[in-house]
Amino acid sequence: MSAVTATISEDKMDARTKPATPDEGARLGFRLTLPAQILVLFISAFPLLMQLYISVTDWSPLSGVGWWNAWEMWNSFANYTDLAADTRFWSALQRTAIVMLVCVPAEFLLGLALATLFADDFPGKRIFYSILLMPMMVVPAVAGYMFFMLFQSGGPVNDILSRILGTPVTIAWLSDPNLALIAVMIADIWQWTPLMFLILLAGLVGVPEDQMKAATLLGANAWQRFVTIVLPKMKTIIIIALAIRVIENFKIFDTLYIMTGGGPGVATETISVYIYKVTTQDLIWGYVAAIALAILIVLSIVAVYAMKRMAKAREVPA
Amino acid sequence: MSAIHLHNLVKKFGDFTALKTMDLEIADGEFMALLGPSGCGKSTTMNMIAGMEEPTSGRILFGERDMAGVPMGRRGVGFVFQNYAIFTHMTVRQNLAYGPRMRGAARAEIDRRVGAIAEMLQLSPLLDRKADRLSVNILQRVAIGRSAIMEPAIFLLDEPLSNVDAAFRAVMRTELKQLQRQFRQTMVYVTHDQLEAMTMADRIAVMDHGVLQQVGTPLEVYNNPANVFVARFIGAPGMNLLKGRPAESDRGLVIDLGPLGVTPPLPDELASAVRAVRGDVLYGFRPEQVALAERGLSMPVSFVERIGARTIVHLGEDESAVKAVFENDVGLSVGQTAIVAPPASSVRVFDAATGLAVGPG
Repeated sequence: MSAVTATISEDKMDARTKPATPDEGARLGFRLTLPAQILVLFISAFPLLMQLYISVTDWSPLSGVGWWNAWEMWNSFANYTDLAADTRFWSALQRTAIVMLVCVPAEFLLGLALATLFADDFPGKRIFYSILLMPMMVVPAVAGYMFFMLFQSGGPVNDILSRILGTPVTIAWLSDPNLALIAVMIADIWQWTPLMFLILLAGLVGVPEDQMKAATLLGANAWQRFVTIVLPKMKTIIIIALAIRVIENFKIFDTLYIMTGGGPGVATETISVYIYKVTTQDLIWGYVAAIALAILIVLSIVAVYAMKRMAKAREVPA
Repeated sequence: MSAIHLHNLVKKFGDFTALKTMDLEIADGEFMALLGPSGCGKSTTMNMIAGMEEPTSGRILFGERDMAGVPMGRRGVGFVFQNYAIFTHMTVRQNLAYGPRMRGAARAEIDRRVGAIAEMLQLSPLLDRKADRLSVNILQRVAIGRSAIMEPAIFLLDEPLSNVDAAFRAVMRTELKQLQRQFRQTMVYVTHDQLEAMTMADRIAVMDHGVLQQVGTPLEVYNNPANVFVARFIGAPGMNLLKGRPAESDRGLVIDLGPLGVTPPLPDELASAVRAVRGDVLYGFRPEQVALAERGLSMPVSFVERIGARTIVHLGEDESAVKAVFENDVGLSVGQTAIVAPPASSVRVFDAATGLAVGPG
């Protein structure tokens, strides 16, 4: 009993004699998180600075000098001027953009349709739900190999098409320069629609039910409710979902590389595949650093834009 | 405007019966409160009137029109939700304009109607405010306005005051009652708060466990409860009920309350009705009508609650507990014995077996 009273009075004393000002609290917080901050700074800032440094040199691991001595091979921004004139780079960038412009909207629309379907109850929902999420859990390299097998000219895809059409179909999906990119995009849509579905479903079930009922009572039909209530309420989450997929899709690599290796020729060579080839085959690391930096800048612009839109959506829900 | 007729309305959710054969007539322009504890079926009844749920059996008619199969968007009912269900991502103007807009009204027409309704509800200065930062009384007005703009024949209100703090409820009640006078629509108001029902409603339908217990004006259900449930539920605190056995005495019919002694004789009309009851009865009287007397029921004081304007004295205990409410402080303290007597005219008697009121009522 007396011990308890003592503790209480001590606490009271403490509170009276040492008022924690917000300033003091902030300083203490800073000191406590300092080690973690230094670590984060090191692992994010250091590679960035190193990359920036190497990108203005001709350095490569075979050049015989340590990367810190790369200044000896200073090439006065030649990597960047080369990049501007590198048609293989620009066509890879264009291809990446095409993949993104097809895949992300397709994944979004499919995901939204599925989420709308799953927002209501129907028999077997839980089983379908599990099946639907499975592609997301497959290791991308495995998915790549799976689609590699599916799209073989004697593979299941052609087999199914033959049965439907009634005549033998032998499309060389992965070795036709026009079709290879389509096959790659199908694989990406298969694998990443579930993620979109999952995020959008979370947003959809968060739409207040009574507001939906109120809209119904006021005479809004299903489509009007979707446009006037559901979409505005989901705005923030839609921006998040799109931003995640745009950034991820821009870096598309593993599935694609296993399916086509960027080929035939350069028909499916996206920016990541191009960087990989320059790094491992041509070994010009200074140039690689320059490409990677250029892409980082592009993606940063996307991210900043998305975050601005999100802040706006939250501030003035239209 | 429209009257509402509920005929043999039944609602079952699987094995659970939420509503057992409800019959209720709500007159055109009437303010009807559905009152009862949670789970009594009042919200289920309202949801069926609104068309959010289909009755398991029975019929709902608006005037002459049978509502079976009419979707909720076409019933012409205004619905005010418990939390108002205001579209928080829109402005007040967009909220008010929602109904006409969804039905494709012309822009000029919408503007005119929104202007008129906003004027009536004193929302004009707030039209361009975002709806997510409004106080509750404004939200209530927006919710009513949003429904009223559709000129519904029937207004349904689902416990609209339950999220409002106690101090503000009185203001909201007054406002709501005024709005009803303005619109003159048939209103059905669901609540578990008897104060709301008593102050606003023309008539009250008291419900419990899916059964309609009594329908009547606030004073009818207060003064002449149809059964034990209504007697206990209406009033704060509820009616005192003491178990006893009718007995003849030289002064007339009295109730023998066992250890508490016998009651004063019952009035003649009530006495003749009570004589017809076989078995025990419940002797009931309102705590507010108890007076201290020379002769009457002698009971020990077990607890005294002083709440300012009123004093609630708890007398006796367990089976024979009685509460007495006095306007002013009384000189009673725990341990003392009080002699209380309800005026003969305010005594109500219930059949202990059936729970139903006995007598002229």
